[in-house]
Amino acid sequence: MSPSFFKRFLFCVLFSIYPELFAAKVSVDPSEWGDPLGEECISCHEKSSSGLTRQWRKSAHAEAGVNCFDCHKASIDDNDAITHEGQVIATIVSPLDCSRCHTVEYEQQKGSVHSEAVSIIENRLPALAGHVGGDAIIAAGCDQCHGSRVVMRGDGSLDPRSWPNSGIGRINPDGSKGSCSSCHGKHRFSKAQAREPSACVRCHSGPDSPDKAIYEASKHGMQYQAHRDEMALDSDSWVAGKDYVAAPTCVTCHMGAAGKLKANHDVGMRNMWSLNTPVSEKQYLVVFEDGEKMELPASQSPPRRGSEISKTDGSLGKVKAVATPKRRRQAMQLVCLECHSKALTESFMDQFDDVVKLFNEKFGTPAKQIMQALYTEGLLTPAPFDEPIEFIYWELWHDEGARARHGASMASANHTWWEGMYLVGRNFYSRFLPQVEKIAGSERASTLIQTYVTSSDHHQWLEQPQKSNPILGYDVGRQADE
Amino acid sequence: MSKWKLPYFITRQVLIALVIGGIAGIGFMLFLIEFDDLTSSEAFCTTCHSMEIAAQAYRESTHYNPVSGVRASCGDCHVSEGVIAATWDHILGGKDLLTQISGKLFGPDYDDPVVNALHLPQAAFEARKWFRSKDSATCRRCHVLEAIQGKRADTNAIHLEETDGKSCIDCHINLVHRKVPDEKTFKKDRWRQMVEEEFGLEPGSALDYLSK
Repeated sequence: MSPSFFKRFLFCVLFSIYPELFAAKVSVDPSEWGDPLGEECISCHEKSSSGLTRQWRKSAHAEAGVNCFDCHKASIDDNDAITHEGQVIATIVSPLDCSRCHTVEYEQQKGSVHSEAVSIIENRLPALAGHVGGDAIIAAGCDQCHGSRVVMRGDGSLDPRSWPNSGIGRINPDGSKGSCSSCHGKHRFSKAQAREPSACVRCHSGPDSPDKAIYEASKHGMQYQAHRDEMALDSDSWVAGKDYVAAPTCVTCHMGAAGKLKANHDVGMRNMWSLNTPVSEKQYLVVFEDGEKMELPASQSPPRRGSEISKTDGSLGKVKAVATPKRRRQAMQLVCLECHSKALTESFMDQFDDVVKLFNEKFGTPAKQIMQALYTEGLLTPAPFDEPIEFIYWELWHDEGARARHGASMASANHTWWEGMYLVGRNFYSRFLPQVEKIAGSERASTLIQTYVTSSDHHQWLEQPQKSNPILGYDVGRQADE
Repeated sequence: MSKWKLPYFITRQVLIALVIGGIAGIGFMLFLIEFDDLTSSEAFCTTCHSMEIAAQAYRESTHYNPVSGVRASCGDCHVSEGVIAATWDHILGGKDLLTQISGKLFGPDYDDPVVNALHLPQAAFEARKWFRSKDSATCRRCHVLEAIQGKRADTNAIHLEETDGKSCIDCHINLVHRKVPDEKTFKKDRWRQMVEEEFGLEPGSALDYLSK
C-alpha cells in the first residue's frame, strides 16, 4: 500500500465514522413548521416589539414561513415554560429547540469547545472572576461570552444574574448547552452576518483571545477589508475556493466548507494545539457515541474505540472515534490548500509550530515548574491571586503567551512578537524571575532558576553578561561581540 | 276633611311602621354603603397580618404610586361596584376571614411569612379567576380601553386592535402583588424550592410548613 493511498484511506475512514462532518440544509418537511398558532403572535408583536418582528420579516425564516411559535413553543413540563397570551412558550430558544429543524448543526456543536465553554472554566471561575472581580462581573463579563447557567425561578421569571445571556456555552433550562444566537444574531438570522469576522469578535477580542486584532493585522484580514464585496457572504453555497476566493474569514478556516472539506459547526475540530493553556499541547479529539466530544492531550495515550472514559462534565461516555492531532491539522490545511501551495502551507505551519514550541520550552514550562515548586515548598499560599507573582504568571501564559501563539497561528507578525512573545520575555526576565528571588530568597531562587531556566540553551545568554551590543547605546561605535 | 282618603287598611299603626321601616331601610342601605367602603380600605384589610404581607408588594406597585396620584385601594380592584354586588363580595370574602381565624387556631397560620408565600399562588389563581368571571370589571372602573395610550408608540393600537375576546386580566397579571406564574405553567415544586431559598430553609422542609 502506498503511503499516499493509506493517507487517503485513513481520511475516508475518519469522515465516514464521523458523518457530522457533512453539513446539510434542513431536511425537515415544510409541513413541520409554520404553526398556525404562531400567526397570531405577529400582529401584536409588530406593535409591541416592532424591531424584532421586522428583523424576523427580513429573515430566511419568515420567507420559509417559520414563525414565532415554531421556535418559541414549549411544552407545559419544560423547565422554562411560561404562559403567554394563552400559549405555552419559552423565552429562551435553546440549541435543542433549534435542533427541531437544524439537527445536523446541533449535533456538530454538541460537545465542541464552544458548547463546553462554561464547563471548561466553571471550576476556575470563582478564583479569578469571583475573588478579583465579583458576582456582577461574572454576570456581565465572563458569562456573556462563556455562557451562564440559566436559572428559571419558581415565580416564572428568569434570574437576572443569569439572563439575558447569549454566551456560547450557556447551560439552558432544558439542559442543552450553547446558544446559537451567540453568533447568529436573532431574529434576523442572516447567513452573511454569521460569516462576518464580527460574528466572532464580540468574544474573540481582548487580552487572552485577541483574534480580532490578529486577523485584521494579517494578510487575510487585509484582503478581506479590500475585497469584502467579493465575499459572496449571502450566498447559499459558501465554499472557499469555489464561491469566493477573496479572503478567508474566521468561519472559513475554523468551520467553513473548502474544496472537499465540509462545513462543520464544531469550531475547534480543526485545531491541533491547545493555545490557551500554560503549556500548549497537541490534542486528540474524542468523539463519543452520544455525539459529544472532548479534547484530550496527545501526551496521554489515545482512548480505544468502544472504551468508556469520563467526559468534560465528569459523566462517563463511550468512545466512538478519535481524531489525532495530525488529522485535525490536515483538515485545517485542506482550507489553506484552496489558495496556497502544499509547500507554503506546511512551511507556514512549521513557523507556527516553532513559535508554540518556543513558548512552551523557553517560558511556559519553566514558569509552570517554578510556580509548582513555590507552591509545594509553601513559599506561596495555595489561594490564587493573593500574591503579585500569581498575576505575573497568569498574564505570562494567559494573556501575553496566548497572544503570541494566536498571533503565529493566524499570521500577524506584530502580535507574534511585539504584542506577544516580546511581552512574555519582558515579563519573564524583568518581573517573574525577580519575584521568584524575592519570594524564595536568593539561594533557593538561584537553584530554582538554574534547574529550570539557565540550564536550557534558550536562556544561555543570561550567563554571558559581558557580551555587549549597541542596541541600548552601550559602546556605540564598537562592533557587537567585540 | 279632604276628598282624598287613605285606604282603610292604612291605619295609623301601619303608617308609623312604614315610616320607621323606611327610615330603617335607608339606614341599612347607608350602613351597607359605609360598611362596604370601610371594609374595602387598605387600613381595614391589613388588620390581618396575612393581608399586610400581600400589601407590601402592592405598596411598591404603580397602582399604589401612579404618577397621576390616583391611588387604587384594595377594594377598588377586589370588590365589585354597586352596593349589592359589593356586599355580596364581602360576604364571600368572609370565607377568607374564617380561614384566617381557623388558621390561627388550628393551622396553617397564614400570618407566618413562609406559609403565606407557599399559599400565595393558590390565592393568585383564585383572584385571577374572579377577575375573569367579572370580565375585569373593576379594572374598567378606571381604565377605558379606547383611551389607553401607554408610553410606547403602539400601546393604543394594541388595545384597540388586539383585544377582541380578551379581558384585561388575560394579559395583565402580576401587576400589583408578588409575581406568580400562570396556573397552566405553574410548577409547585419550583415555587416551594424558591420559598425555601428565600427564607434560608433546608431543601424539602417547606413541606412541614404546608402540613402545619
